[in-house]
Amino acid sequence: MFIARSEYDRGINTFSPEGRLFQVEYSLEAIKLGSTAIGVSTSSGVILGVEKRVTSTLLETSSVEKIVEIDRHIGCAMSGLQADARSMVEHARVESQNHAFHYNEPLRVESCTQAICDLALRFGEGAEGEESIMSRPFGVALLIAGFDEDGPSLYHAEPSGTFYRYDAKAIGSGSEGAQAELQNEFHKSLTLEEAELLVLKTLKQVMEEKLDSKNVQLASVTKDKGFRIYQDAEMEEVVAKLPKN
Amino acid sequence: MDALVSQLETPRSQQELYNSEEEQEQLALSLSPSLKFALPPIAQSQAWLRAMTDDYSNPNCPIKIAHGTTTLAFRFQGGIIVCTDSRATAGNWIASQTVKKVIEINSSLLGTMAGGAADCQYWLAYLGMQCRLHELRSKRRITVAAASKILANLVYSYKGMGLSMGTMCAGVTPQEGPALYYIDSDGTRLAGNLFCVGSGQTFAYGVLDAEYRYDLTDEEALELGRRSILAAMHRDAYSGGFINLYHVKESGWVKHGFNDMNPIFWKTKLGKGEFSNVTADLN
Amino acid sequence: MAGMFAGPQEMMGYSFNTAPTSASEPRQHSFYPYTDNGGSTLGISGADFTIMAGDTRSTSGYSINSRHVPKLFLIGGEGPKNKGARIVLSVVGFAADGDALKEKLDKEVKMYKYQHGKPMTVSACAQRLSHILYNKRFFPYYVHAILGGIDEEGKGALYSYDPVGSYEREQCRAAGAASSLIMPFLDNQVNFKNHHIPGSGEGHDLKPVVATPLPKETVIELVRDAFTSAVERHIEVGDGLQMMILTKDGVEEQLLPLKKD
Repeated sequence: MFIARSEYDRGINTFSPEGRLFQVEYSLEAIKLGSTAIGVSTSSGVILGVEKRVTSTLLETSSVEKIVEIDRHIGCAMSGLQADARSMVEHARVESQNHAFHYNEPLRVESCTQAICDLALRFGEGAEGEESIMSRPFGVALLIAGFDEDGPSLYHAEPSGTFYRYDAKAIGSGSEGAQAELQNEFHKSLTLEEAELLVLKTLKQVMEEKLDSKNVQLASVTKDKGFRIYQDAEMEEVVAKLPKN
Repeated sequence: MDALVSQLETPRSQQELYNSEEEQEQLALSLSPSLKFALPPIAQSQAWLRAMTDDYSNPNCPIKIAHGTTTLAFRFQGGIIVCTDSRATAGNWIASQTVKKVIEINSSLLGTMAGGAADCQYWLAYLGMQCRLHELRSKRRITVAAASKILANLVYSYKGMGLSMGTMCAGVTPQEGPALYYIDSDGTRLAGNLFCVGSGQTFAYGVLDAEYRYDLTDEEALELGRRSILAAMHRDAYSGGFINLYHVKESGWVKHGFNDMNPIFWKTKLGKGEFSNVTADLN
Repeated sequence: MAGMFAGPQEMMGYSFNTAPTSASEPRQHSFYPYTDNGGSTLGISGADFTIMAGDTRSTSGYSINSRHVPKLFLIGGEGPKNKGARIVLSVVGFAADGDALKEKLDKEVKMYKYQHGKPMTVSACAQRLSHILYNKRFFPYYVHAILGGIDEEGKGALYSYDPVGSYEREQCRAAGAASSLIMPFLDNQVNFKNHHIPGSGEGHDLKPVVATPLPKETVIELVRDAFTSAVERHIEVGDGLQMMILTKDGVEEQLLPLKKD
């Protein structure tokens, strides 16, 4: 098995005899090294939460950006190679604005996710007529949260270009434990406030550092306010609501 | 195999020439609607376009493009007033009396429309998209200077192709305060306190220059904008319809109505005794 | 048929002038890829419906080449007959450009449904049509387009376009050869322009009549009157009247005869 791997894992677009694309599979491993990110969808909106790894007391924590805005009604949280996420987010922003320009309406969340995933497989030599733009697959997974005419929705997009819709999803290094926790705790009647707490509680369980208002980040997408990253004061308020230890 | 080798031997730039239009179109469709413009299959495409669409140089031109007309904007202590008429003409024909010549680029930026209606509508919507992307990338609102520069560079890159637009960008930002720029399809970009654009500009300037002060109150400024457009509608046959009035403040723009000029004209005449050249006698 | 390829001033000649010209004499620039196929179209929107109409005559110069060339097209339905379509495009001007425009818009509306999993709204379609027209800004489609549908609130929606894509939502619009005959009639009968309420005041204080949406039957009558009148005074209008009535239940098409002279 290991031998077969070493022979086929260098070609970026070569299947192994068992029918696997190792480089794509390895890119999924890169995400497991990333910080944990969690999304929870409720009937009134979606909550995204990420842990920020504060590696030094000299680090300016506000410069660690792991939740970003795509458009007024769509935001995303990332885990994995952040630099790769930048170009995916840029692509999603342009796609979203292009859609608004051409159709005079906001882009649907699923279409936005599809647009990001279209980019995911543009590595290697490039098909006929289509410019290849990357030498390797992305090393980042995204949780895309949005609100459109069908209400709130949460999508998970992988480097393999597949995406699924979730009620609640965790990605990154603590994803296994966090997903199990979400599985137990999630129910359809969660309120937005309960979802905030669920995200923080789950993050707290899987984080190595002790959770405080500086090393986590929350954001919400709702019908009225659209995508919104929580300010420092709001973060402190929500973190204070967490039961101690 | 030979085909593959020869394809690899041809430089990329040459290969693209062989792509049929259909192929390119399909490529564009598979991604997203494109920004590419079709060109007529002849050498002198600009001269041809002028012959087909410019009713000024050729009154018998077959394709009459709707034109916009009197627009004005001025800076004062309370922000910026933007005011326009609403008439679109194609030759002597009034194509519409209800054109919205103030284009809402976003909640704090306004653009005005004079010249080709489609050029203004399309490129100001495009500018809106660029402003939004700027906002997402840099996490703060674009300045009016930057927005107007995007538009100026854009139209300059199409210089000589036949675009026709004279537009003003008005906005209030924390960095600049009230800012007003004039941009036209020749590539001119000017910052200023006061501009009038269109066939009725001279008439509007007459009123505006006479009464303008920087320290006008909000009410006085709105009335001056309205009165200047009214003067242009009265003397310029290509201007008329409705008075479209906006006030741009730091908190964003506020719309002050899209009102029929006729009752406003009579109110101005009978109430204030202006336009005394016109008789009010109905018999 | 020679007139078909001629420019507006000269009646003879072809799209590309084939007459030999010596190098010394100045050459006339004569790329003229358009023919005006005449005819007229019209659209009126009401509270919960939109009516589109067009005559079916096709002319070039003074020749009538066909008596049944429709100017109204269903956009974005299913199958070759566009079943279930909820948007109608009318084009008048050069029929070949109109056809090309119709095909392109129809293709995009259908692709949109596959890509985004929902039918395109009229307002989205209106913006898209504007950009399709503008993409040929430097080699325009010789058409005046009108787009009709029902908006998201269930109200009648009508958008009118110039050849390069400037557009506006309106109550009513006439386009094409007889637009200068029909449009003033619509201003008077649909928008009640310059109508005043009798006895509402003295002199300049007379109150104007406020236009309210008309019932469907009245609008159908207006459309018929507009076309039967235009036929009397315009040579390029006649033969048949194609009418499409859009409501929340779909599109109903009617064909009525007009004079054939």
